[in-house]
Amino acid sequence: MNFLFSFIVLAEIFAIVAISTNLLMGVVGIFSVAQAAIMGCGAYAYAVLAAAGAPFFPAVCGAMMIAASLNLLTALPSLRLAGDYFVITSFGTQLVATAVFINWVAVTGGAAGLPGIPVAEIFGVRFVTAGEFLWISTVALALMAFSFWCLLRSPYGKLLHAIRLDEIAVSASGRKVLRAKVGVSLVSGAYAGCAGALYAVYISFIDPISFDIHVSVLVITMVVIGGARTLAGSIIGPFLLLAIPQLLTLLEISSSLVGPVRQLIFGVILIACVLWRPQGIAGRSL
Amino acid sequence: MTMLLVHLLVDGIVTGCSIGLVAATFAYFYSATGTFHVAHAGIYTFCCYVAWYCIGLDIPFVPALLIAMIVGALLGMMIQGLLYAKLERLKATPLVMLIGSIGVLTVLQNVSAILFSPNIIQFDLPWRTEYLEFGPILLSIPQLLIVILCPLLFLALQVFSSRTALGRQIRAVASNPELAQITHLRPQRMFLYAIAISSALVAVPGTLVGIDQAMQPYTSLIILLTAVVAVIAGGIGSLAGAFLMSIVLSIIQSVSVLFVSGRWSLGVVFAIFILFILLRPEGLVKRKFKREL
Repeated sequence: MNFLFSFIVLAEIFAIVAISTNLLMGVVGIFSVAQAAIMGCGAYAYAVLAAAGAPFFPAVCGAMMIAASLNLLTALPSLRLAGDYFVITSFGTQLVATAVFINWVAVTGGAAGLPGIPVAEIFGVRFVTAGEFLWISTVALALMAFSFWCLLRSPYGKLLHAIRLDEIAVSASGRKVLRAKVGVSLVSGAYAGCAGALYAVYISFIDPISFDIHVSVLVITMVVIGGARTLAGSIIGPFLLLAIPQLLTLLEISSSLVGPVRQLIFGVILIACVLWRPQGIAGRSL
Repeated sequence: MTMLLVHLLVDGIVTGCSIGLVAATFAYFYSATGTFHVAHAGIYTFCCYVAWYCIGLDIPFVPALLIAMIVGALLGMMIQGLLYAKLERLKATPLVMLIGSIGVLTVLQNVSAILFSPNIIQFDLPWRTEYLEFGPILLSIPQLLIVILCPLLFLALQVFSSRTALGRQIRAVASNPELAQITHLRPQRMFLYAIAISSALVAVPGTLVGIDQAMQPYTSLIILLTAVVAVIAGGIGSLAGAFLMSIVLSIIQSVSVLFVSGRWSLGVVFAIFILFILLRPEGLVKRKFKREL
């Protein structure tokens, strides 16, 4: 039972990252291959704050704020310029972030990672096992999902859709495209930061590999297979893709090849979706 | 101190030549088709593994390199023919093309890891650690091959693109696909040639760098990132700009070790990129040729 709970908690955390990516990529059409890096910033920020003695809620809020501002900062140079510049900024952000996680040993613990992140404690109640933590992750996902749902249906959400469809027309009709993009970067960064904080507190150990480019590609795959621009898509994707590693443990593959085989499957899924089902399972076409 | 500086400079030039060919071939395909071909890094890696495998079968170096180039060309044509062309027919957005390309990159990296080895590999060639002295400069034979072959192949690409009929046809399709189609040039066929050429050429730095240092399935993305930064800094559409900027970037990266720890050299490249897009987004060499970004 604990195994199942653990799976659900992780899938819910990744659903929050998927929502964050969906908002950027699906809704506004801003490519991002750095969501894992932003999530990692949130996770490390949480770990550092918690180690300094901050309680659960302030530490999560701090992680969300730091991740949001970093997401904005890395996006800022490219917000003026569309398209391929953003692609490179995004790849660069991810690779540089991994380098920072590995090399800034004083704060991040280097490649060995940061162990011993304290257990979540809210009003004296400790959330230790996966079954207990499930409450936190479910409430967090529900909050994020609800805000995403509201955002998409608000006038602001309509503006974001319009930016994806025709940016020039939007700015010609007097709307502030740049301001909207800045806002989206902040919100998306906050989502990813929240997911990172939950990941850190749940696993109680973080290292650079947990947030490298393969994780970012995994998140993109989640959004693509689930489907862009819908809430259901962002939730189906993580549950589906995180089940694959579990299924792989049933096959007998030598341990050094498990990682490559898993990623190979993700890559094949990505290509197959793009070719034959661009709308994913429950979404719209990118 | 001067010795160290000379050493770092030479190192930067060698790396720059190998990255330069990656950048030039990326820019060549990009300016022809507009596809942001991230999978180029996957071809780079996969070809190196092919060459390594051939040499493991006791095939001499030159045929092994040629086999790697042919495999690269075929692989590139498969990607263009089966994926990019189909996506273009489906009227996919650049974002979807890019995601497809990332999928191909992931597949190529992991197929390399599964078929060959997920670990760091080294070539079994006795001459890979032999050194030649040129005054104060010490070059290993693989480094010497990089410095000679990569600029030569770059020049060949340049000449092919501007002097031969096929090269001109590809450029014609790139600058105006509709008009080219009216004059009986089939764009998709030209794109196939373009990707075959750029993929075959990228096999050369892939293999030589693999011989010089070592090869891992997942490191080529960093090389591609440096190359693409060079493409932008050199001015998109200019092959020479891309090649020269690669050398400049690599020298800066190499010499920066004197001031900041080598672990941050990726950060140095990225900082240069940020400076460029803030100050001179059109690149150093401005060209009339412009593709919608």
